[in-house]
Amino acid sequence: MFNYTFHWNQALRALPQMLDGALVTLQVAVLSMVIGLACAIALTGFRLSGSRILSGIAAVWVEVARNTPALFQIYMAHFGLGNFGIHLSPYAALLAGIAFNNAGYLAENFRGALKAIPETQTRAGRSLGMNSLQAFRFIVLPQMLRVAYLPATNQMVWAILMTSLGVTVGMNTDLAGVTQELNARSFRTFEFFAIAAVIYYFIAKAVTLAARALAWRMFRY
Amino acid sequence: MNKVSVLVFGLMAATALGGAAHADKLDDIIGSGTLRCAVVLDFPPMGSRDADNQPVGFDVDYCNDLAKALGVTAEIVETPFPERIPALMSGRVDVGVASTSDTLERAKTVGMTIPYFAFEMAVTANDKSGVKSFEDMKGKVVGATAGTYEAIALEEQVKAWGEGEFRPYQTQADVFLALSQGQIDATVSTSTVAQANVKSGNFTGLSVVGKAPFDTDYVALFTNREEYGLINYLNLFINQQVRTGRYAELYEKWVGGEAPDLTVGGVYR
Amino acid sequence: MLDTALTWNDLLFLGQGAAMTLAVTAVSVAAGTIMGIIFGVIRFQAGPIWSMPLMFFLDIFRSVPLLIQLVLGNALQSIAKLGWPPFTTSCVVLSLYTAAYCTEIVRGGIASVPVTTRRAGRSLGMTWGQDMRYIVAPLATRVSLPAWIGLTLGVMKDSALVLWLGLIELLRASQILVTRLQEPLFILLICGAIYFIISFPIARLGGYLERRWSPHD
Repeated sequence: MFNYTFHWNQALRALPQMLDGALVTLQVAVLSMVIGLACAIALTGFRLSGSRILSGIAAVWVEVARNTPALFQIYMAHFGLGNFGIHLSPYAALLAGIAFNNAGYLAENFRGALKAIPETQTRAGRSLGMNSLQAFRFIVLPQMLRVAYLPATNQMVWAILMTSLGVTVGMNTDLAGVTQELNARSFRTFEFFAIAAVIYYFIAKAVTLAARALAWRMFRY
Repeated sequence: MNKVSVLVFGLMAATALGGAAHADKLDDIIGSGTLRCAVVLDFPPMGSRDADNQPVGFDVDYCNDLAKALGVTAEIVETPFPERIPALMSGRVDVGVASTSDTLERAKTVGMTIPYFAFEMAVTANDKSGVKSFEDMKGKVVGATAGTYEAIALEEQVKAWGEGEFRPYQTQADVFLALSQGQIDATVSTSTVAQANVKSGNFTGLSVVGKAPFDTDYVALFTNREEYGLINYLNLFINQQVRTGRYAELYEKWVGGEAPDLTVGGVYR
Repeated sequence: MLDTALTWNDLLFLGQGAAMTLAVTAVSVAAGTIMGIIFGVIRFQAGPIWSMPLMFFLDIFRSVPLLIQLVLGNALQSIAKLGWPPFTTSCVVLSLYTAAYCTEIVRGGIASVPVTTRRAGRSLGMTWGQDMRYIVAPLATRVSLPAWIGLTLGVMKDSALVLWLGLIELLRASQILVTRLQEPLFILLICGAIYFIISFPIARLGGYLERRWSPHD
């Protein structure tokens, strides 16, 4: 049945190159998460602002991010914007696409988290003499973070997985890009992609474990 | 084939399978009556889609000729560049007629025939970039189709120059899209592709500015590494295509001009 | 913007792409959900320790990019000489991918049914099967359905990746048209709009059901 001889040695020789790619993958994922978080906070602010224009922008962003494929968003960031003469490098396009996607999902996540905190608590805080900012900072925010944390870590794992889509816009330095290039040269698809899968698995697990450790430090009573 | 002959053939096939004799791929193709070719369809003029989104091109015709020689019907299986080998390995296609460069690295995995086509490499540039020759590409953002012969050579050249940036795109179409948008300044592609794209009139502001000093890119048909019988047949078929003038005819039809020589001086095969 | 070379024929081509997207999604979600329910029940019944091998296996599908899974799945079927067409390969990989997420949803749904309710059912003489069928299933479905709708939409969007295997779905169809017509922005916007039109109403339905059936209300 198996008429195929595996060439693992040849594939394993490329491991250092692939691990370098893994670092780029992690870097893109972390940056996209940081930018995504910042945008999500801004979008949440827009939604609460009461301004129709601002909440309109937020609504469009969130719905487009959540209702179209990430691959489409990245493709758009490169070739769609390119049509207007805005040229993002593959790295920037990938980062922009994932950050856009992250922001949409995180903003929705924050909204859910905000809702989970009863308004009576803010009022209680205010009646203790806090101003509205203090009430938000000391009462709402800590609880909100707690509710929003787990979905946010899931989004982080998603961000790592999404970085693999960079190959479609010419990215060749991240793990998927390096793997695809090695594959195109040698046609040894299975070996190279199997190694890539293992590396992705370990990155995802490491991030999940780190997030859990962080949560344990931050949220224990 | 009428019912009786199908039955007779079936019995013969069963006997053949039952015995120690092993029908090779050439027998399988003739027996099944269909030749399935892997063809890349975003690689004009070798393979593309017409206005009805049907496959056309040099490789498509070449596959049809091969099927005719074998006395079977051709089936074109569209494969993106990265999909060519998995399609062959899984037995979804019999032969790759997919402009595949016959690198030694790849010959470790699949069986390559003698060259059936040869590409010269041309530089196509966006007029705004100011690139007028191959050397002008130094320090610029350049791109090519990932995994192709020219992409590998160009990437090494960019590394050797030590400045500029190389971007591999997954399809030839994306390379020209990026080039026309100015995302990349220039590309090296096979001259056939360059001419076809520039002539298509779909792009403005692109011109073929010169040749790239890379070796001629010989491309081969490929099939499973161990199918010597079929590879032998394919080699003879390629020889006959040239001998009968069909190669020149197809070249004239799809590319135009003098068809490139498929032999290398000073060495056998 | 209206000055376009896009013909009705091409729109039809996009429509066929969208149909392919929906077909892949429908098959994968159906198969993935059945597997997810089976795995979810096993996961719940066997407890965390005995179901560890199964969980590890499913976890792989959630920790490796789908693109890599598709390429690997395709390479594997080719090495095993299964000769699957891209559609089958795509559906098999996407089904397992769906099952991996669905298992967690189902497990969460079953766990949300109060033990006391189930005990009450069992003490009325119900068998395990009856308990699952008449008590757990309806209650767990309510809890799980919004998440399941989210998963379905996720799979629909992720199915864009099957273009890598040569399947002409919505995004690939758009790329082919972009190649021919060189109107990237316009065609990509249509493509995005089609995804949005499919996804948005269902997402809204999911949100509505979530509010409506929320156990906290």
